[in-house]
Amino acid sequence: MQPAAGRSSDAPAASPGAPHDREALNPADRLQRAQHALLSRRRLSIRLRLVASLLLCFCLCCAFAAAAKDLLGRARGKLNLLQTIERLDDRILRVRAFEDEGILSGTDIDKVLEGARDAEDLFRKEAPALQAADREVLPALLAHLGTCRRLLTAVTTQGRERGGFGVLTPTQAGELRHAEAEANRLLEAMIRRERVSLSAIFRFAETGPLVLVGILLLLFAAITYCFAKALVNPIRRFEGYTSRIAVGDFSLIGPARRYRDEFSDLAVAVNQMLAALQEQQNRLVKGARLAVVGTMTSGIAHELNNPLNNISITAETLMEESTTLTDEDRWRLLQDIYFETERASEIVKSLLDFTRQEKREMVPLELGEIILSTLRLSQNEMNINNVTVAYDVPPDLPRIQGAANQLRQVFLNLFLNAIQAMPSGGVLGVSAAVRDQAGVCVEVHDEGAGIPAEILPRIFDPFFTTKEPGKGTGLGLSVSSSIIKKLGGDIQVASELGKGTTVHVCLPRAEEQ
Amino acid sequence: MPDNTSVMVLDDEPIVGDRLRPALAKGGFDVEIFTDSTAAIERLKQKAFGVLVTDMKMRGPSGMDVLRFVREHAPNTQVIVITGYATIETSHEANALGAYQFVAKPFKMKELVKLVEKASKLTAS
Ligand SMILES: Nc1ncnc2c1ncn2[C@@H]1O[C@H](COP(=O)(O)OP(=O)(O)OP(=O)(O)O)[C@@H](O)[C@H]1O
Ligand SMILES: [Mg+2]
Repeated sequence: MQPAAGRSSDAPAASPGAPHDREALNPADRLQRAQHALLSRRRLSIRLRLVASLLLCFCLCCAFAAAAKDLLGRARGKLNLLQTIERLDDRILRVRAFEDEGILSGTDIDKVLEGARDAEDLFRKEAPALQAADREVLPALLAHLGTCRRLLTAVTTQGRERGGFGVLTPTQAGELRHAEAEANRLLEAMIRRERVSLSAIFRFAETGPLVLVGILLLLFAAITYCFAKALVNPIRRFEGYTSRIAVGDFSLIGPARRYRDEFSDLAVAVNQMLAALQEQQNRLVKGARLAVVGTMTSGIAHELNNPLNNISITAETLMEESTTLTDEDRWRLLQDIYFETERASEIVKSLLDFTRQEKREMVPLELGEIILSTLRLSQNEMNINNVTVAYDVPPDLPRIQGAANQLRQVFLNLFLNAIQAMPSGGVLGVSAAVRDQAGVCVEVHDEGAGIPAEILPRIFDPFFTTKEPGKGTGLGLSVSSSIIKKLGGDIQVASELGKGTTVHVCLPRAEEQ
Repeated sequence: MPDNTSVMVLDDEPIVGDRLRPALAKGGFDVEIFTDSTAAIERLKQKAFGVLVTDMKMRGPSGMDVLRFVREHAPNTQVIVITGYATIETSHEANALGAYQFVAKPFKMKELVKLVEKASKLTAS
């Protein structure tokens, strides 16, 4: 079936539809909006987090060092105290022993007195460092010590006055003994208690570092986990972006987290790159579209020169034969001129339509309309190559989501490839069918020579062509595939040498409201 | 020897034949018009024309095919080739096949009639 000739109806691209907010924005606004969304989040840079974590670890270590120093100081104080107490205890014991034997030299007593005074001073000074139990008994102890000192001092002064030994009265001696015994008892109890508390300090000093190591281990694990997450996740995400970009999807990156960091800066830069790539791609697509018109020059010239020639010779007839023509003849000739003018302007209009930039992208489209208008565009190429069309696109096909002129460009490339593959004529098969819930597929089939298996993987490469210079730019399939991918579709080529080539184009269905 | 006043016009644009027929008839020629090249070749088998005016690009056999056929079967027929898209290559090819003239569309009818007259004289001599 030949596609019906007639006005190429405007694709729904121009018809007013539900406004697609995202699509209606121009690329610069879209970029600005994406960048704003990325940058308007609270900043929480990885560097800041790194510094904070290290500071936390540092502070923790400092705290432990201070605690260790304090513990050491306490242990030393306790040791000193214990030594003093032990010495005092020992001296009192010795004094008691001498007393028992009745010999107590003046120097001995002086030493004891001095030691006792030192101990008392120390006790007073170290009172806060003592344990509660020790502090309780301290007044009693000091009282006993005071008694001992008083009595012993009395003895010594007596002795000096007399120039010999002083003697205590029996009651005094009894008092002294009792005070000394009590002091010994209290001091020994103190020693016992201080020993217990000292060994507790040592035990704590032994387990402390282990606990510290444990806490640090947990902290390091938590920090490592957080940083691994903050670094690995975005890298994974960016890996996804690069593979997406590699297949021609240039949609901008949006925010994926609540805060922003160095990766957000990277995303901003990538978006900038994507916008530049997109612009370059658009330019390439536009250039290729004009180039494809260039490859049709012979067809277009033919298509235009035929009506122009008809007009010219008809006008010539009118001028030459003005006297001999009947009114009826004249009317017929004028009508010819009128319709041939129409025919020529139709060609110009469809070409202009085709090369025009679209205002809105991604609108629901009738696939049949797109295919028919494209077949009209390539009609002349088919005529001069003796190619006929087998058209099988059901009229009730669901609408697809796309951009009319970009799709026309794709189909024109495919049709021209098919026509050029059949220089001595053949049948160009165009059929379409619903693939599944998500998509509609079009098949473009030709009876040409086919594509050798060794070049099949390269036909989508930009500038790959087997055609002679001037006949093919090698951009046709490369640009077509990038358009289809951008529209969310898929394009595949199957070919059998000597039998022909089939190109499958699948496009996403429009969501029908 | 072909009848030098007989002219065949072959173009798949019907208007070309329509306009050329009266103009050539006025010049004293006996004109036959064809829009289908297969039918034209059939007719060429039956009759030797003095001059053949043919379009280049047509559905079915092209002007070049018709020219080739004429060269084989009616070497005395002069052939004028008209085309909507003239390239150096096609004009060389047509000349190599012995076409009398190569004319690009749009042409002036007066000039074409003059060409046919000249060609027919060539046939006569
Ligand atoms: N239907 C087909 N039959 C046979 N070979 C084909 C077909 N389609 C494409 N090819 C091969 O793939 C190559 C690349 O095609 P592509 O459309 O990208 O570029 P081109 O047709 O050479 O140039 P352009 O499309 O810019 O005029 C062609 O040169 C041709 O060798
Ligand atoms: Mg191509």
